Amino acid sequence: MKSITCYLFNSEFQTIYRVTFHFSHQALLPLANVSMIDYTLEFLTSTGVQETFVFCCWMASKIKEHLQKSKWCRPTSPNVVHVITSDLYRSLGDVLRDVDTKALVRSDFLLVYGDVVSNIDISQALQEHKQRRNMDKNVSVMTMIVKESPPGHKTRCEDDDIIIAMDGKSKRILHYQRAQALKRLHFPMNIFHSGSDEFEIRFDLLDCHISICSPQVAELFTDNFDYQTKNDFVRGLLVNEEILGNQIHMHVTKDGYGARVSNLLMYDTVSSDTIRRWVYPITPEANFADQEGQSCTHSRHNVYRETGVSLGHGSQMEENVLIGRNTMIGANCTISNTVIGANCVIGDNVTLDRAYIWNRVHIADDVKVKQSVICDNVEVKHRVVLNEQCVLAYNVVVGPDITLPEGTVLSMHHPDEEDDEDDDEFLSDDNDVGYRKDKTKQKGINGDTMFPGLVLNADPESDSESEVSEGSHDLGSHPASPELDDVKVFQNEVHGTLQRGLDENISCDNLVLEINSLKYAYNISLKEVMQILIRVVLEFPFHQQGAQISTAQYSSHLLPLLKKWAPVFKNYVKRPQDQLDCLASMEGVFLERETHWAALVKVLMSMYQLEILEEEGIMHWFNQGSTTDKSQQLRRNQGLLKFIQWLQEAEESSEGDE
Amino acid sequence: MTRRRFLSGSASVQAFRRLDQLTILARNQRFTETPVKMPGADKETDLSERIESFLSELKRCGSGAGSLRGSAETARETTALLRRITAQARWGNAGELMEIIRKEGRRMTAAQPSETTVGNMVRRVLKIIREEYARSRGSSEETDQQESLHKLLTSGGSSEDNFRQHFAHLKANVIEAINELLTELEGTTDNISMQALEHIHSNEVIMTIGRSRTVEAFLKDAARKRKFHVIVAECAPFCQGHEMATSLCKEDIETTVIPDAAIFAVMSRVNKVIIGTQTVLANGGLRAVNGTHTLALAAKHHSTPLIVCAPMFKLSPQFPNEEDTFHKFVSPHEVLPFTEGEILSKVNAHCPVFDYVPPELITLFISNIGGNAPSYIYRLMSELYHPEDHELYTGK
Repeated sequence: MKSITCYLFNSEFQTIYRVTFHFSHQALLPLANVSMIDYTLEFLTSTGVQETFVFCCWMASKIKEHLQKSKWCRPTSPNVVHVITSDLYRSLGDVLRDVDTKALVRSDFLLVYGDVVSNIDISQALQEHKQRRNMDKNVSVMTMIVKESPPGHKTRCEDDDIIIAMDGKSKRILHYQRAQALKRLHFPMNIFHSGSDEFEIRFDLLDCHISICSPQVAELFTDNFDYQTKNDFVRGLLVNEEILGNQIHMHVTKDGYGARVSNLLMYDTVSSDTIRRWVYPITPEANFADQEGQSCTHSRHNVYRETGVSLGHGSQMEENVLIGRNTMIGANCTISNTVIGANCVIGDNVTLDRAYIWNRVHIADDVKVKQSVICDNVEVKHRVVLNEQCVLAYNVVVGPDITLPEGTVLSMHHPDEEDDEDDDEFLSDDNDVGYRKDKTKQKGINGDTMFPGLVLNADPESDSESEVSEGSHDLGSHPASPELDDVKVFQNEVHGTLQRGLDENISCDNLVLEINSLKYAYNISLKEVMQILIRVVLEFPFHQQGAQISTAQYSSHLLPLLKKWAPVFKNYVKRPQDQLDCLASMEGVFLERETHWAALVKVLMSMYQLEILEEEGIMHWFNQGSTTDKSQQLRRNQGLLKFIQWLQEAEESSEGDE
Repeated sequence: MTRRRFLSGSASVQAFRRLDQLTILARNQRFTETPVKMPGADKETDLSERIESFLSELKRCGSGAGSLRGSAETARETTALLRRITAQARWGNAGELMEIIRKEGRRMTAAQPSETTVGNMVRRVLKIIREEYARSRGSSEETDQQESLHKLLTSGGSSEDNFRQHFAHLKANVIEAINELLTELEGTTDNISMQALEHIHSNEVIMTIGRSRTVEAFLKDAARKRKFHVIVAECAPFCQGHEMATSLCKEDIETTVIPDAAIFAVMSRVNKVIIGTQTVLANGGLRAVNGTHTLALAAKHHSTPLIVCAPMFKLSPQFPNEEDTFHKFVSPHEVLPFTEGEILSKVNAHCPVFDYVPPELITLFISNIGGNAPSYIYRLMSELYHPEDHELYTGK
């Protein structure tokens, strides 16, 4: 039988995920009491896959441990699972490039994410793919599997909204675009000239994140090392189609279920779909992961009970409920649409609706939980009310007598704490992302000193949620999508790199190297790199010492840093134009912080002395017509004027010497 | 061709890119790879691999209502696998063999609880081993089978101890007997359809529901000699009735398809109802495809005889009160398509597959060994299975 190789890899997280589930990997999160990765592997095995490569970079040891215990690593498993780990897998692109380097695949393979839950029968798609490959050698490189689901469907994730133009007959993708909050879409005219007389432009498709790839896909990723995601790949291939001659097809399926758990909204949806048996035969009572003691019974109204569940007098499990083993539930509770893990203790008069409670959670009496996630070992004391979209991360203790507003995230992992003990486990870059996200959230802190509480102002989940419930399509008024743009992420990464450089005393050469690799990872132009670098360095003292430091403190912190990193700057600031850009970006930073204008001179001075900036550059910048009032004000700053005067004099005197 | 590189940007950018690729490659050296350890190929590995693949197949079969394979095929495959276990597993005496079979049997039944044929075949094989052991020991199987109440009381569950004796030819005998069972299984459908002419007469109107391979063969066999009219209830939402009707038409049988809602209305015209079933329960009731209960009640109301075509391997020692495994709910896709959109989050859709039909609604069972009334099922049960094997789970 054909041997298909599969790639699972664990993608970057969405905001909440990373922060909250710091102690667990996304792929190991329990979905209906079974780890997500088990769903993916079960799906792969059922499609006849015989060998699977699991790529992971984050918490690899935990994934490995989990897999080694699972049925997938038993000698009898029809699907041989290899775990390949590296710190360098930051995107799909990195993984596939590595696949190519190691020459792991020789034939067609299946590419899925480690958090896909699906029961789609891909045999037909596979057959079509093979036919196309046989007909035209090496023309069709990939077949994407998409599922028909009209807009407003709850399993549609807003991040994944795509618009696809395809050839109606050959199912060839002509145009592929993410529809994130776009009001207007452009289709290149040339796609309609391709000779076919049947076109379909579709918005009712859900990308299942399952694709059948030919070995060329890995090669193409190597050839184009700026491809990071599948999106880059598909778009790049379509743009270069005429030159490269590669085509991408798709297979639209109506049957079956396929979704990727990419954020908490999807977690909620997919969990409830699993409980409602949409993913049959992958159902909770099937015990497909074949774990000891996980046997579960299924009764009417989709009530699932594992062994040893006790239910108090007058308690009701209304519908769509899954209760893990040895969980005790008190009297007069009302439970609906809820998943409860193993060994939980739930008190009396508790109301749970759309709650996802993991293992060993203690919930006291008179608690109300609505549409929230409660992680392992949490203790909820009596009369606590959790409103919609709350998340209680590991080991949190809440209460008593408190009502958490909508969208609260509570975590023991304080955003400002250095988690030294975890550093070995986590990738530093991931940590940086985590910090940054924490910091953006910190602005929302509402003075709650009882626990490190974080309030999300713009909870991505609530956004999508309200959109779904209202069915509105007013995408314009919608806040920007939760996915951060590359520049922002890049800025954070650079900050992290420099921070680490400082902590670990990394040489400047290596810093340059890291920044360069980040540059390609996020597809940032050289000019932007420099601007961001300047911004990051100038804001560095604020991050370290807090935003309220005085100007004197600021400059005393900054100047040694400038000196230390001078070689880094020199690497990027070479041409006169670079100097101007650099100065412009410095100006930008200082314009935002009026109180620290006095420090600008010192910065300029030291950069001049370090030979990063030359006098011509500075003069040119100074004489440049400023556009806004504020920047004119900046130029009229006393210190700056003196500095410029000094420069002019120095210039004249040096000319005089000659 | 594909190796060509398309880059944009200045020369310096390109230089950077090359530099960067080098770093990436250099860093790749740091990869750690952990292949999963495989124990050395073993004689038993092959066997356990087969068992695993059968298990996973069982788990996956039946994503729709009727499984992709008929239950006859499942029965044959189970028996063939059990024969392989008998031949390849390591055992010294009948007791050990029974223990192995019971253990694998438990796993197989757990893999797909709704597929009772698997458990039935396991019980049949256990019974065969008991008989062969008794024969080897010289005692006649009759005495072993019909244990007196007194003997049951005194010996208790300790009769296993008697299976410890070793017989060299036991393995060959058991395999021989399993082969006979396989031959019997292969002939079941023919044996049932052979009786068709005794039950279907000319110009009769027969009603059936859904698609049963046994009923299909039964009707087709009768059609070779007689002219009759078949009404097929479509059996929504899976509508296997449509396939049934198409298949019958090909044999020139006059066929009408009706919606399930019309069953009662049409029943007054019907002379006989002939249905298949998924399982025959120990009390003579049925676990059959959804809608069968409606059909049986309508038939009862009109006093129309209801005939069930059920091969012996569908006879299960299960009683209908074992609620948890009795029902099977599949994906609600057929009831409410997933493509419906918004409505899905607001409603609960259920798609049960089976109905329970109580024995008092059934007139006659036609099995491969002849026709029997529902009240006689208990007797067949005791002939086919040893009472100690009824519960595979309680076995040590």
